[in-house]
Amino acid sequence: MNPKPQASTGSASNGNPLGASRALAQLLTAGVDVGTGAVKAVVVGFDKSGAPQVVAAHRERIHRRELSTVAKLAFEGALAEAGCKRSDIAYVASTGEGESLDFLDGHFYGMTTHARGASFLVPEARAVMDCGALHARVMIVDEKSRVLRSRMTSQCAAGTGQFLENIARYLGIRADEVGPLSLSAKRAEQCSGICAVLSETDVINMVSRGVATGEILRGVHESIAQRLVRLLRALGAEGTVVLTGGLAADTGLKGAIERGLAADKGVPLRVVAPPLSAWAGAIGAALWGEVRRRRLEQQQAAAATG
Amino acid sequence: MSAEQELERLLDRCERIYGDVALEEVKAWKAAHPGRPAIGHLPVYVPREVIHAAGALPVALQGGGDQVDIVRGDACFQSYICHLPRSTVELGLQGELDLLEGLVFPSTCDVIRNLSGIWQLLFQGKYVRYLDLPQALNDTGGLFYLEDLEGLMNDVAARANQKPDKAAVAASIRLYNRNRRALQLLYELRAEAPQLVAADEAFLVARAGGQMEVSAHSDLVETFVSLARKRNRRKEDRIRVVAIGAFCEQPPLGLLRTLERSGCYVVDDDLNLGARWIQGDVEPGDFPLKALSKAYLVQSTWASVRFEDEQFRGDQLVARVKALRADGVIFAAPSFCDPALLDQPPLQKALTDANLPFISFKYAENTGQFQGFREQAGTFSDSLKLWGTT
Repeated sequence: MNPKPQASTGSASNGNPLGASRALAQLLTAGVDVGTGAVKAVVVGFDKSGAPQVVAAHRERIHRRELSTVAKLAFEGALAEAGCKRSDIAYVASTGEGESLDFLDGHFYGMTTHARGASFLVPEARAVMDCGALHARVMIVDEKSRVLRSRMTSQCAAGTGQFLENIARYLGIRADEVGPLSLSAKRAEQCSGICAVLSETDVINMVSRGVATGEILRGVHESIAQRLVRLLRALGAEGTVVLTGGLAADTGLKGAIERGLAADKGVPLRVVAPPLSAWAGAIGAALWGEVRRRRLEQQQAAAATG
Repeated sequence: MSAEQELERLLDRCERIYGDVALEEVKAWKAAHPGRPAIGHLPVYVPREVIHAAGALPVALQGGGDQVDIVRGDACFQSYICHLPRSTVELGLQGELDLLEGLVFPSTCDVIRNLSGIWQLLFQGKYVRYLDLPQALNDTGGLFYLEDLEGLMNDVAARANQKPDKAAVAASIRLYNRNRRALQLLYELRAEAPQLVAADEAFLVARAGGQMEVSAHSDLVETFVSLARKRNRRKEDRIRVVAIGAFCEQPPLGLLRTLERSGCYVVDDDLNLGARWIQGDVEPGDFPLKALSKAYLVQSTWASVRFEDEQFRGDQLVARVKALRADGVIFAAPSFCDPALLDQPPLQKALTDANLPFISFKYAENTGQFQGFREQAGTFSDSLKLWGTT
């Protein structure tokens, strides 16, 4: 259920297995990203020099369960993987829809955390594309992870993880098969990129016409990618773009975005999706949590000394 | 019943009152007090002591919120005014306000003044009084206002078949003194431990007073504060903000909840401002109506609907933010609210001069989408926590 992502110390190429540095961590913080389809939780450790490392990452699908219960399960799952308990965590921060959870120290807005998480995973990131179950958002960030400008897809669900899940269900395939099947197709069967309902109708018609599953998926990916590429171009993205959120693991979507960027002949962009991309929001929350913990500690010390 | 269960019961009652455009609480009061009238009043400030002393139940009319579809109300007003008068007219035309024997329209703004005229045209024969609150804050203004209060007292007493009575006014003043002290306690608790009383809870508890007997409301507020103090709620790492601009048309509950869920503790606001308008106790003395008139001159809170020097209002806001150790200000005003929106530039200048951060947005009482507010408040909170001095 939980793919084992690679640990990261801020470099996309770092390949230490998760949990290996738990013993070295002097201080732990946690981040809980409550999304529409899943809750992602991480524990981040900081060594003596203050350098962070993700020591545990856990994901729980929501599946119509009560949100606070799933969030608690995800958090406890991350704690168990890190081999620690709540009292070991110096600051627990939520992001996404997690502001009402009762085990938090603080909450950060989704843009702030995805920007920080993406910059941690890929320090050279200058644009972040957060593709979740319900929304897709592009942010332009600076070297300090500050969001300079952002834009979100419109209300329609045709461009989101939930939509892709529905398509996978119509086609009778698992979510993790979507990317490889799409990449293996030689051509794309075009479908509506404006309306999720029309797209789903298109797909049902394609199935009845006997179009190959891979070609249907490639068409769906390309219609989603068109919208995302337009967002990137509208914001004037440059350099490296990091995919975050649940759809970051979809290799078919990443390929379609790369093809879309190459086809429009705009500024060349590098698109990356590190293994921990889906946890970027939770990682960002945990990292900002440490910033806040430090600041609050300084304030308390200043207050104590008068 | 545990303290938390008791609190839930209280809050459920307050939320029922909030959502009840048919004024069931008022109906129940009238059934229990045959022959006594209920007199509605528009925001912001009306001296409810006078209506109460004359034998009537003062009923705060707060518009239709998000419960009323405006069909006929729009026909009475141009499109570039706030939402409250439309929903008030709609409620009147639907017959929801038929149980009120009269309405008092205070001189809040041009829109409320126009509403009083439209009301007289639409509901001929119903008692309507336009209450001209003085803008000249001196003896002349006080005398003018005293005559206004005497007129109101005589009118309402006649409808309640009672004689205007000095002792009754003094007694009512004491009851409302207690009510203001109770509300003050509620706001002090929020400022001191905002995790114990959420912004929407304080709003609901304060607002319930608009539809019930003042003593019953004071009991309710005091009980709520005493129970809330016993709550075992963890304080979260959020910014402390003062919310300004919602003194007349009230925001939907969802907006208040959104603000607090976006990383803010709203430690002060100007919601339900009329009930907290007079600062401190009013000493009735031998001439209680005169005491009320004087209280308006010298004990009023500062507000956009009362004439003061711009610099004075800015200074007051800055002083309030500093006294409450707030990290910033959220200007949340109804769309097309002239008093709130015209006041924003000088207030924002005062905050800028004092190096205090702020954001602003507009709402209507029936706003249903909160994502934009969430994004603004969330990023405001994050920016102060991570890059500000908070």
